[in-house]
Amino acid sequence: MVRQVLIVAALAFVPGLGQAIYFRDKVSWQSPVPASEMVTVAQARAWGGNAIWVDARPDNEFARDHVPGALSLNEDRWNELLPQFLAAWSQEKKVVVYCSSQSCNASREVARRLRNEAQLKNVFVLEGGWEEWLRTNR
Amino acid sequence: MKTHIFAFTLSIIICMTARAELKWDQTSIELHPTAADKQAIGHFKYQNSGSKPVRFKSVRTSCGCTAAQSQKEEVPPGEKGEITATFNIGERTGTQVKTVTVETDDPEHATTVLTLKAVIPQQLEITPTFVFWGQGEAPKPKTIVVRAAKDFPVKHLRVTSSSPDFQAKVEETGNGQFKIDVQPQDTKRPIASTLTIQTEDSPKIFYATARITNAPAIQ
Repeated sequence: MVRQVLIVAALAFVPGLGQAIYFRDKVSWQSPVPASEMVTVAQARAWGGNAIWVDARPDNEFARDHVPGALSLNEDRWNELLPQFLAAWSQEKKVVVYCSSQSCNASREVARRLRNEAQLKNVFVLEGGWEEWLRTNR
Repeated sequence: MKTHIFAFTLSIIICMTARAELKWDQTSIELHPTAADKQAIGHFKYQNSGSKPVRFKSVRTSCGCTAAQSQKEEVPPGEKGEITATFNIGERTGTQVKTVTVETDDPEHATTVLTLKAVIPQQLEITPTFVFWGQGEAPKPKTIVVRAAKDFPVKHLRVTSSSPDFQAKVEETGNGQFKIDVQPQDTKRPIASTLTIQTEDSPKIFYATARITNAPAIQ
């Protein structure tokens, strides 16, 4: 009986291993943002005035509502909005970027550009985005 | 008994043939817009190859920058159509992957994810796009490196500063690479300048920012 179970388990392991090797570059559980660059709403709120909140959503969504004090910085108007953000930025501040929800990608893209292009440090992506902020602040 | 087996087999065959099936020409499209393009549009074509109509329940995009439209709400058997996905490039750079999730009432293929990949040409790579000095820091020049893409030869680069408080000097370093030395007159007060970077052949303008910040800098 044990032998049969082991054989079945071994047989199931073979295609799994093959798939893991073949799709090694796009493993679904691999988060595009390292955990150290993510921040929860509670953590970000604890930073208080030491954090700059950046709204990466489109203009119309930002106009509808946003985290109090947040600055709009989206890729539709990057060149225009970036200088406005940099005017408010200072080295000791932590930057918290958010978009609509956990599944949106705009906050990751904006955070990536702030890190790579502007070479800013302490740039974080908000877990769960605006939806999570709303949920925890209701 | 034979009648039962026949009836069972027949019902299976009927169920198999009387099905709705949306067949997609392709579920993934790669687009290569030019530097002047404002949008990248992908056409995902389909045909209902089944014998029942297929009804679209929802068409959702992964990003506010992408809009998707289906031509019709219901697709009769044999009919063709397409979902048009329009990606607004804005001021995005690099390779952008956006998805469109299509939900239908076809129980076997209820959800289909369509992928639109847009490879946006990056004529110039500017690193960093932001240089800063802390107030009171020595006003030494800081360097911005500009690399031209392989298929975008650049002979001359023109850099202008929006403020006379900052000077920008351009130097060609070879292999399509330039360095821009940015230097403030002094660092006594918090001021900023927008640097516009242009090549001789392209109307596109690139930007960098120079700023004196309030806090002392450790760059």
